[in-house]
Amino acid sequence: MFMKSTPLAALLTAALVPAAFADPVLYTSNPVPAYEAVQAAVREQAGASLGVITGGSGVLLRRVEAEAPAPQADVFWSSSANTLGAYEGLFEPYASPALEAMLPELRYPGDLFLPANLHVVTMLVNTDQLDGQAAPQTWADLADPAWNGRIILADPANSSTGYTIVWGLSKLLDEATYKAVVSNMVVSGSSSNVPRGVAMGEYTVGLTYETNSYAYIDGGQTELLLVYPADGTFTSPEYAALIRNAPAGEAAKATIDALLSKDAQIALLKVAFRRPSRTDITVADHVGLPEISDIRTFALDEAEAAANRDAFLADWAALPKAGDVE
Amino acid sequence: MTASIRTPWFWLTVAALALLSLFVLYPLANILTASVTGDGPSGWARLFDNPKYMQAIGNTLLLATAVTVIATLIGVPMAYVTARHTFPGKGLIALLPLITLVIPEVIAAQTWLMMLGNNGLITRSLREVGIRLPSFYGWFGLITSMSFIYYTYVYIGVVSAIARFDAQLEEAAQSLGTAPGKSRLKVMLPVIMPAILASALLVFTMTVGNFAISMILSHRLPLLSVVTYQAAVAEGASDITMQSTLASVSVLIVMAVLFVNRRIIRRGKYEIVQGRGAKPQPLRGMRGALVAALAGLVVLISLLPLISIIIGAFTASRGPVMQWGSWTLANLERVFVSAPQPLVNSLTYAGIATLISIIFSAMVSYLVVKKPNILTPFVDYVSAIPLALSGTVLGVGLLATFHGGWLPLSGTATIIVLAYVIRRMPFGMRNGQATLHNIPNSLEEASISLGVAPVATFFRVVLPVMLPAIISAAILTWTTTVAELSASILVYSGGRETLPIQVFRLIDSGLMAYASAYGLVLVTVILLPIIIAARVFRIDVFALR
Repeated sequence: MFMKSTPLAALLTAALVPAAFADPVLYTSNPVPAYEAVQAAVREQAGASLGVITGGSGVLLRRVEAEAPAPQADVFWSSSANTLGAYEGLFEPYASPALEAMLPELRYPGDLFLPANLHVVTMLVNTDQLDGQAAPQTWADLADPAWNGRIILADPANSSTGYTIVWGLSKLLDEATYKAVVSNMVVSGSSSNVPRGVAMGEYTVGLTYETNSYAYIDGGQTELLLVYPADGTFTSPEYAALIRNAPAGEAAKATIDALLSKDAQIALLKVAFRRPSRTDITVADHVGLPEISDIRTFALDEAEAAANRDAFLADWAALPKAGDVE
Repeated sequence: MTASIRTPWFWLTVAALALLSLFVLYPLANILTASVTGDGPSGWARLFDNPKYMQAIGNTLLLATAVTVIATLIGVPMAYVTARHTFPGKGLIALLPLITLVIPEVIAAQTWLMMLGNNGLITRSLREVGIRLPSFYGWFGLITSMSFIYYTYVYIGVVSAIARFDAQLEEAAQSLGTAPGKSRLKVMLPVIMPAILASALLVFTMTVGNFAISMILSHRLPLLSVVTYQAAVAEGASDITMQSTLASVSVLIVMAVLFVNRRIIRRGKYEIVQGRGAKPQPLRGMRGALVAALAGLVVLISLLPLISIIIGAFTASRGPVMQWGSWTLANLERVFVSAPQPLVNSLTYAGIATLISIIFSAMVSYLVVKKPNILTPFVDYVSAIPLALSGTVLGVGLLATFHGGWLPLSGTATIIVLAYVIRRMPFGMRNGQATLHNIPNSLEEASISLGVAPVATFFRVVLPVMLPAIISAAILTWTTTVAELSASILVYSGGRETLPIQVFRLIDSGLMAYASAYGLVLVTVILLPIIIAARVFRIDVFALR
């Protein structure tokens, strides 16, 4: 009614005829600057234009599962082993040459998943909201009732970040301290809300990976402080994986090679603050983050965390929290 | 019955029902059957066992009722004063509510938090004078933010109904000795009631299906849409028992509301014969200023997110941190120069989807209202089903149904257009039906008795009368289609990102400056047709004058 028929027909043809792309497609929950760095690396190293679909990692994994008879995507890049472990059947192993340069302890059995970067859990503290209190230095400090309702965390049931943190806390702290810390927490349904909530001053302390927190400090919010708890923090490798029967074939493998290449890892570190999984990059050369060797870590068994997931989440759901409805 | 089979209307009804069955019922059936067929205890047993799910259902009903009541209480008086009066600043006040329709809900929730959150501007200044507001997370925030977004739907639905209302009826009542206020209530209210109910129903269902705001503001208050999403994430695609059970609950709630709505409309049928609208009366002095101030305040509150988008679009940023006060054009350069694909995609997909929706909904609402036969009630119910489906449920259903098989659509642009049409076609349907209730049957009967064939009569008599309503429905459909997110984000494929998907991605990445730039372009794209309709075609879509 608004359009004449000829341009309309042209428009319909242009829009509705499926394009015959041989270009690789990436599914990821990673933020825009991160996947743009990977797109640039793929363009440069493989000469291909990488299509990107973003979404929550749970939603995307379901989509890969639904598409399994005729896959639409080639590479999945998101999540830790405790989430991906349940979907092993959707992927195929790929021994990328880049694995040579990786920390051996990060590699997944059979190279089904390839370590793309290493996440480190931090406390993001907004010093403007401390109200004269000292910033927390250890996980146990957060048990103080003064923190009630001022700590935000992504819902462990929906976020692998949240799950890694509370699972780790339950192992690191004694039961009474753990329960006291949990009782101070507010749980957010959206994980990107955690650093943003702290940066906006909605919360004083946000528990999340350094990659999410540091962006706000790098942006110039000087009131924000990154705390690596002195009683040891938790790390979790983030994986990339080749989807079984990836339609782009060799271009899919080239995408993974590009993602794991030294250039891409440095770009990811610079623009998205992704700590590289490679051993040949010095973090402090590029951003104001400490070396992993200078951070006290507390080792977690990811397989155990994945196996006990349901029971742990049931116990977690029963614990009182600061965000509970009266 | 045998007589009705011979008319072309009957076969059109069959065709409409066939399309709806393929694209609405079939995907829905794929999801719904899973609530009883899955392994282990049935979804319904688990639903009634778990107090969290029951609480979520209760909370959602309560929230939807509260938001519907408040949105109606704001929207109907606003529509009344804009349709029947002129007052200072009316032009702006009549146009601006439309913009709230297109502001991504994620941005809206963010802006409300900047005002009323724990560290919000208003919260802090009130705390300094000793007033402590309740936490914005929970009932307070959910009801406030949703009411101030959804009143727009009531406003738009009711304003044209009041403008079309024949003022002679009111004058007649008054000349028979009824007081002006009472005659308005007794004569006007029943006639505009279908429009009020239709828009209230829309608000109710949108609240039930709301995902973005619920996710950010509900925190630990269980709501149906959030627990459905959580169940979907937790279950994955292999066992969809719980998510489909919860999805079925929201479908049942909305179907029940729709049923009640139909009963009320059927009880009293009114047709406006001549439809001579009242000339807007000027409001001057204190009364005019008061009305303008009140309406202006409502509009200003609902526009806060837009203001933040405009400022954000021109503000420099480093990563997620906005450098307030330092201005740049770099954000807009990204939209138009370095990454223009989302803009092109949005215009193409939403344009085609709007055209299809409008043709389909004009035909079908005509069938349902004017040519009822044994099948039209089914067409009516089925075409309303998408209202009851959250975008997530629809997206999952479409992917599950049209992936491979005899109609492989996933990975194409067609499935995005299809999702748009299915999701937004009911808007045009509700709107078209409300309009058709006000077009007298006598017009058409006259044409047919003069020898014009029924189908030709539809095109030559009914359609021209419906045209202003169709154009305003087209604009409403365009507005909501361009802004559609939750279904398209599931079915889009690489390189087919739309503006809302890009905005959502950028907000999720914390990049508010880029998100604002794409958001601003989105708002502009939505407003252009409205301005063109008003200026070029002289169509007074939203009773602006």
